[in-house]
Amino acid sequence: MEYGLKPLGKERFWLLLLLAPTIIGLILGAFGSILATIVLSFMRWDLLSKPVWAGLENYTALFTNEKFYIALTNTIKFSAMYVPGVVIISMFVAILLNRKIRGITIFRTIYFLPCVTSAVATALIWNMIYGKDTGILNYFIQSLGGKPICWLCTNNAMLSVVIVNIWGAIGEGMIIFLAGLTAIPREYYEAAKVDGANGAHQFFRITIPLVTPSIFFVTLISTINAFQAYDYIYMLTRRSQGDSSVPVVVFSIYRNAWNFFNYGGASAQAIELAIIVIALMAIYFWMEKRYVVYE
Amino acid sequence: MKRIVLLSVLIASMLLSACASQAKQGPVTISFMAWGDPEELAVWQQIVDDFQAANPNIKVNVEVSDWDSYWTKLKTLLAANTPPDVFAMDAPLYLDYQSRGVLLNIQPYIDKTPGFLDGFYPVTLEAYKLPDGYYGLPRDFQTVVLYYNIDMFNAAGIAYPTVDWTYDDFRTAAKSLTIDKNGDGTIDQWGFTSDLWDMELFWSEAIWSWGGEVINADHTQTLVGEPIAREAWQFMYDLMFTDKSMPDTNTSGQYGGDLFQAGIAAMTTIGHWAVPGYATVEFKWDVAPMPISPSGGRATSVNSAGFVVAKDSKYPDASWEFIKYCLSQTGQARLTELGLAIPVLESVANSPVFLEQTMVNINQQVFLDSLAFARMKPVFKGYDEWASTIGDGMAPIWLGEADLNTTLDTVVPEADAVLAKNK
Repeated sequence: MEYGLKPLGKERFWLLLLLAPTIIGLILGAFGSILATIVLSFMRWDLLSKPVWAGLENYTALFTNEKFYIALTNTIKFSAMYVPGVVIISMFVAILLNRKIRGITIFRTIYFLPCVTSAVATALIWNMIYGKDTGILNYFIQSLGGKPICWLCTNNAMLSVVIVNIWGAIGEGMIIFLAGLTAIPREYYEAAKVDGANGAHQFFRITIPLVTPSIFFVTLISTINAFQAYDYIYMLTRRSQGDSSVPVVVFSIYRNAWNFFNYGGASAQAIELAIIVIALMAIYFWMEKRYVVYE
Repeated sequence: MKRIVLLSVLIASMLLSACASQAKQGPVTISFMAWGDPEELAVWQQIVDDFQAANPNIKVNVEVSDWDSYWTKLKTLLAANTPPDVFAMDAPLYLDYQSRGVLLNIQPYIDKTPGFLDGFYPVTLEAYKLPDGYYGLPRDFQTVVLYYNIDMFNAAGIAYPTVDWTYDDFRTAAKSLTIDKNGDGTIDQWGFTSDLWDMELFWSEAIWSWGGEVINADHTQTLVGEPIAREAWQFMYDLMFTDKSMPDTNTSGQYGGDLFQAGIAAMTTIGHWAVPGYATVEFKWDVAPMPISPSGGRATSVNSAGFVVAKDSKYPDASWEFIKYCLSQTGQARLTELGLAIPVLESVANSPVFLEQTMVNINQQVFLDSLAFARMKPVFKGYDEWASTIGDGMAPIWLGEADLNTTLDTVVPEADAVLAKNK
C-alpha cells in the first residue's frame, strides 16, 4: 500500500532539488567517510605524508596491541552495565510517569533535561558531585556515618561513569517507553481486571509483552550509544594531556589518530568496532523475530 | 532552468576571475594560525594591524584556537592541502611535522637577512636548527621556576625560597606548609603541587638535577629508568606518599583546576605562561629558581614556541615578512606584553618591557637567570607518542595505585619500542 501524494512532472524536479542537500550531505558525509575509513584501514598513513598500502597490517597489529585490548574490554564492560541499566530504569521511570497526576509534565521535563544539556558541562558538575574530599555525594555518605568513597579512582571509575551515562540516557529511553505505553489500549487492562488479574499479573502479562517493541528499540539504540560513548567518560576520567583512566575504544581511536599520527591503525579500530556493533545488531534482529510482540 | 544554469556559470566565472586577479598582483592575503586563549587573539590582531600598516601589500588573517583544537585543526588543514601560510609550532613537536615534509626550509630567507639571528638566545634556536637549515624559528620561550605563596609562607613562619635552596629545604618547607586546618583528617592546604604527567613541569628538572637523563642523545633509548633517575623519582614519590605534602592525581583532580592559583597549594613549578592567570589572585606570590639536588646539581627545563611556514604556502615571501616582523624588536615587545612568555631576543628580555611587567610585581629576572642551568625539552620525531607512553604508563603511580619501580620496569621498554618504531 502506498501513502500520500505522488509527485508528478515538474514537481519531481523540485522534489529532487529540495532533497538534494540532505542526500548529497549523506553521500559525502556519511557514506564518503565510511568508505574512506575502510580504505584507510588498509593503509599506513600519518595524515601528512602520502598513504602507503599496508594490507592487513593494521588489523593484525590489533591482536598484539595491549592498549586496544584494554580499551575493548572497557567498552564491553561498560556496555554490559549500561544497556540493561538504561532499559530497565527508563522503563521503570516511564511506567511511573505514565499516569494522570498533577505536574506530570514537570517530572517528564526533569527526566528529559539531561538529554538536552551539554555533556561536557554536566560532566563537570558530576565531577564536583563525585569529589573525594569535596564532593556532595561523599558529604552525604559521611553525614550518614559512612566512609568516603573515591568515586573516580581507577577501581571505582567505571561504575561511576556508567551511573552518569545511564542518568544521561534515561530521558531518551523514557520518551520511547512512554510512547509504547500510551499505545496499549485501556480495554486490555479493564478486561483483565474484570477477569480478576492483580497489578503484577497486569504488568507481566499485558504491559511487558506489549512494550517489547519499545524494549527492543531502546536496547538497540543504547547498545549503539554504549559502543560510541565518549564525552561523559572522557570528561570524568581524563588525566593530563589527553590520557584517560578508563580508556574506551572511541578514545583509543581518537588518540591514535590525532595524537600518534596513526590514522590507518585508528581506522582499523573503527572498523572493528563497527563490525562488533553490526554483529550485535544481527543478533538483536534475530531475537526480535522470536520475542517481540507486535499487535 | 536555463536561467539557473546561466546564473551559476556567471557566478562561477566571477569567482574564478576574482581569485586569478588576486594571485597576480597585491595585496596578498596570508593566513596565520596559533593556539591560545581568546585574549591572545586581541594581541595577535594588534601585531597584525601594526604589521599591515608597515606592509600595505600584505594582509594577514589570524586565527587563534585553544591548544587541543589547534592541533586537530592544523592536521586536518595540512591533510587537505590547505594549510595556513604561517602557523605556531611547539618545539618538541617540530620534528613530527618537519620530518613529514610539510614545513618550508626558511634558511634561504635567513641568509638574505644578515645578522638576523644574532640577538636570539642561542638555546632557543637549538631546537629548530637542522643540518640543512631552519624550518622554523622560536618566537618566545619558557623556563620553569618555583612559584611560592608568600602569604602561606608568612603564616607558617617559614623563610622564602632562595637561590641556595636545596631539594631537602624544599621538602622540609613543603611538609610544614601541609596543613589540616580544621582537624577533620583531610588536608586543606598542600605544600606543593605539580602535574607529573608531562616532564616539563617537574620530573625532567628533578632527573636532570640529580644527574640523570631522560633520553639518550640520538633518541634511541629512554633513560628514565636508570638508577640515578630512580632516585629522583623516589624523591617525588616520597613527597606524595611518605610526606603527603603533594596531592596525588585523584586528590588534585577534584579541585578541577590549578591548586596554586586556587590558593590551596603553597608552591608549584611551572613556566611563565602561568603568570597572567596567577596575576588575578588575591594572595601575594613570587618566584625563585629551581632547588639544588643532593648531588649539588641544578636544572630546569627550557622550551619554546615558534613560527613555521607551510611548504605549500603560495606566498612564502609574504610569510617570511610577517615572521620577520614578529621577531623584530617591535613585534617581540608587543608579544611580551601578553605576559605569557619570555621574548627570544635578549635585548627585549632584558628591557623593562619584560622585567617590569605591569600585571604583577614579581622577580622576572629569575626566569632569565634560570637559562644558565636550563636544559632543552627533547625534540625528536615521535615525541608525542613517546611522551604519552611514559605519561600514561606512570599515571597509576601518581594515583596511588601502582608501585614505582615495577611500573618503571614496564614503561621503559614500551617507550623504547615507540622510539624504535619512529626511527
